Amino acid sequence: MDFETQESSVVKPVEYRNFFTIFTKGNIFSKLSYLIFGLANIHYGQVIKGLIFLLAELVYIFFMVTAGAGQIAQLSTLGTHTQEMVFNEEVGIYEMVPGDNSMLILLYGVIAIVITFAIAALWLLTIFSGDHARAFAESGRHVRNFREDVKSLFNDKIHFSFLAIPVVGISVFTVMPLLYMILMAFTNYDSEHQPPGNLFHWVGLENFKTLIASSERLSSTFWPVLGWTLIWGVFATFSCYFGGMILAIVINSKGIKGKKFWRTMFVITYAIPAFISLRFVATMLGERGIFNVLIQEWGWVESALPFLTNTTWARVSVIVVNFWIGVPVTMLMVSGILMNIPAELYESARIDGANPFVTFWKITFPYMLFVTTPYLISNLIGNFNNFNAIYFLTGGAPNSLDYFKGAGKTDLLVTWLYKLTKDSNDYNLAATIGIIIFVLSATFTLITFSRSGAVQNEEGFQ
Amino acid sequence: MQMKDKVIIGLNLKYYMAAMVLAIVSGVSTLLPYASAEGKVILLLPLLLKLGGTSYVAVSFYAAAILAIATAVFSIVQYQKTSKRGVFAWQVISALNCVAWTSLLFVSKMVLEGAGIYGKFLNKNLSAGFWLGFVSAYLGLIFIMRVTGTNIGYILLTIMSIIWLFPILWIVLTAFREEQGYYVGYFIPHGFTFNNFVELFSHPEVLPFGKWWVNTLIVSAFGCVINTMIILMCAFILSRTRYPGRKTFMNVLMIIGMFPGFMSLIAVYNILKGLGLNQSLAALIIVGAAGAAMGYHVTKGFFDTIPKALDEAATIDGATRFQIFTKVTLPLSSSIIVYIVLGAFMGAWSDYIFPSMLFGDKQASYTVAVGLYWMTDFRRIDSYYTQFAAGALVVAIPIVILFVWLQRFYVEGLSGAVKG
Repeated sequence: MDFETQESSVVKPVEYRNFFTIFTKGNIFSKLSYLIFGLANIHYGQVIKGLIFLLAELVYIFFMVTAGAGQIAQLSTLGTHTQEMVFNEEVGIYEMVPGDNSMLILLYGVIAIVITFAIAALWLLTIFSGDHARAFAESGRHVRNFREDVKSLFNDKIHFSFLAIPVVGISVFTVMPLLYMILMAFTNYDSEHQPPGNLFHWVGLENFKTLIASSERLSSTFWPVLGWTLIWGVFATFSCYFGGMILAIVINSKGIKGKKFWRTMFVITYAIPAFISLRFVATMLGERGIFNVLIQEWGWVESALPFLTNTTWARVSVIVVNFWIGVPVTMLMVSGILMNIPAELYESARIDGANPFVTFWKITFPYMLFVTTPYLISNLIGNFNNFNAIYFLTGGAPNSLDYFKGAGKTDLLVTWLYKLTKDSNDYNLAATIGIIIFVLSATFTLITFSRSGAVQNEEGFQ
Repeated sequence: MQMKDKVIIGLNLKYYMAAMVLAIVSGVSTLLPYASAEGKVILLLPLLLKLGGTSYVAVSFYAAAILAIATAVFSIVQYQKTSKRGVFAWQVISALNCVAWTSLLFVSKMVLEGAGIYGKFLNKNLSAGFWLGFVSAYLGLIFIMRVTGTNIGYILLTIMSIIWLFPILWIVLTAFREEQGYYVGYFIPHGFTFNNFVELFSHPEVLPFGKWWVNTLIVSAFGCVINTMIILMCAFILSRTRYPGRKTFMNVLMIIGMFPGFMSLIAVYNILKGLGLNQSLAALIIVGAAGAAMGYHVTKGFFDTIPKALDEAATIDGATRFQIFTKVTLPLSSSIIVYIVLGAFMGAWSDYIFPSMLFGDKQASYTVAVGLYWMTDFRRIDSYYTQFAAGALVVAIPIVILFVWLQRFYVEGLSGAVKG
């Protein structure tokens, strides 16, 4: 990693220290740089860099003193003063006295914590940066000046510049909100504890208990919804996988002319965004929708079929419609892989007299399965969280009186989560479900990671 | 048998006998009972004589009967004097025969009720004659295709593409339908008009569809460019460089990615409010860009397959990492760039959840996804149904343009995706 030109004649080997020896072996500047950001850098000639580090520290201290520390401290209670009406004697009426807003306390607290973590990371960075400067100076090499440091952001330190936007973006708009929501799972921020009118407070694992193990309506909603989520995930994934694979094999088989034409016929369904075609198919499947009109007119059935209103029908309908949406994508993806299967395999199978079905089971399918296992698993997770297919098609309907408010028989965990957030404001339950979805996804991802060569061996092709 | 001795180049006569038997069965089935209901049994041929009309549904009946007999006759004629051209002609007749018998599945009720033969007819009243004719038509076609060496996949592809295009066709027909409303009892509109498109754009105070469309185009265009750049840069770093903390960073991204994304939207909304960005299009672009790096996997997998020797050679020639990125990696990655561009555009173009939460009831800022969903609310669906269909087609325009432009790269782009 050392691109520096060696200028002085006497060059000793560069000697880096670790986090502890920087302190124990270091001189006073190195030691103090644990407290004063960038001091070592300034001492060894990197003045601008050191001052930038120092400025960051001062800004942080200012923030913590004026706001941050208080915000973190408030986290422990999430507010103590409820909003109330107080009689104002001067004016002679009751006035609203604003109380603490638990939601904002939680949000600001999380922001302060994330900023603290960011500063901790910067702290480590400054310590090692200072040691780097020291090591170079002591071994008689050239210590980079500020201009060279900036230049190195486009070369050996390119990861700092290229990842800056993603890291900041993800910290602000993903990590912070996620932490906030995760913490919410341990509060009682439900429809009856809405700020600013009411405070909410920490309840520990109470939400998980009521959701999973209570005999109330909540857990008798949770388990069936979880079960349907798993069933849906498996059926939706594998139906599209096999459908798309068979379609791709047929289109790519010898003797089919106009491969591009056939491919286009299926890809056309893609021109209209899925949410629109799903809304449309939902209207087509209605009691007086075109499907029911037609099948009665054709004499297939006597009366309208309850495509989206009967539990079993609706569940089958969403899987079938998802098949309709999903097959073209899988077809496109599989087409690419099919072309990579060595032609000799098929050639020798043909000479041995294998029919197309044997060729499929013995060559195509094992190859596909090997290559696409990671795709399959991530698709499975994607389908557990397939908000669009369910929300736009049925909206979770048919609703059930046995279920907790608003949840329906085709609701997945995610659509239920969405309803809890948007319609009934039971944020604590939504957050709890979110964590459970995370556990579900993590389990399946771990399986992929331990099984798949493609993930472990990222340099296999280089 | 006589057939065993015949050899005709280009034909596989092994299957001829089976094809001929099925063709004859198909012909004979016209003489069997076609339907039985209300205690009456009716054959196909007497039915034809009774029909007499020339309505388009009755034509299927004539076609099915004529074609079934024709294919039987043809098979016998060809048996006597087999020729390649003759068998191909037979195959065409046979295919048409399948179409005709299939269409009977859809029109039997209309014809039989229309002709006053049965009062309340259902397809379950169809008898042996129909089902035999139907099944033997398809099986016969399969065997003839084997004789001529035609791929049987055509049958599957034809049936599947009709099923796949059916809803799309319905959207298109609805968009041009003159009669308004959701509930219509027929498939082909009675009148065609462009009015639905005109209406869509002519009431900006009630339905600012033009504005929604422009809003979405702005967000998608910016999002597309910014997100593509971020994904490429992030994937480049994670694939082509090594630095301490790389694995940790990837693991953190993976863990974050396992939480359902919109779980945190409430908090994002509050943060945007704090930044003074709520209810603005910029918020959509920023939030989209902030999370873009999460979708680095496919691109990284692609970059992983570019030989490392290229980078090393460039380094020896004095190139910086940045130059390697712009001058070596990017020029080699056109197919994956196309894939990202399409994905980024489509993602922003059809995103619903976040915009709907962000804009609430501020209708002027809606994107098309939110706007179109608003139109399908059950209170509005009946009055806006045809316009909704017209809107769906207008929304499809940029996607089709992008697709046509990028289509040939698209398949390749995805194929590189799974390797990694």
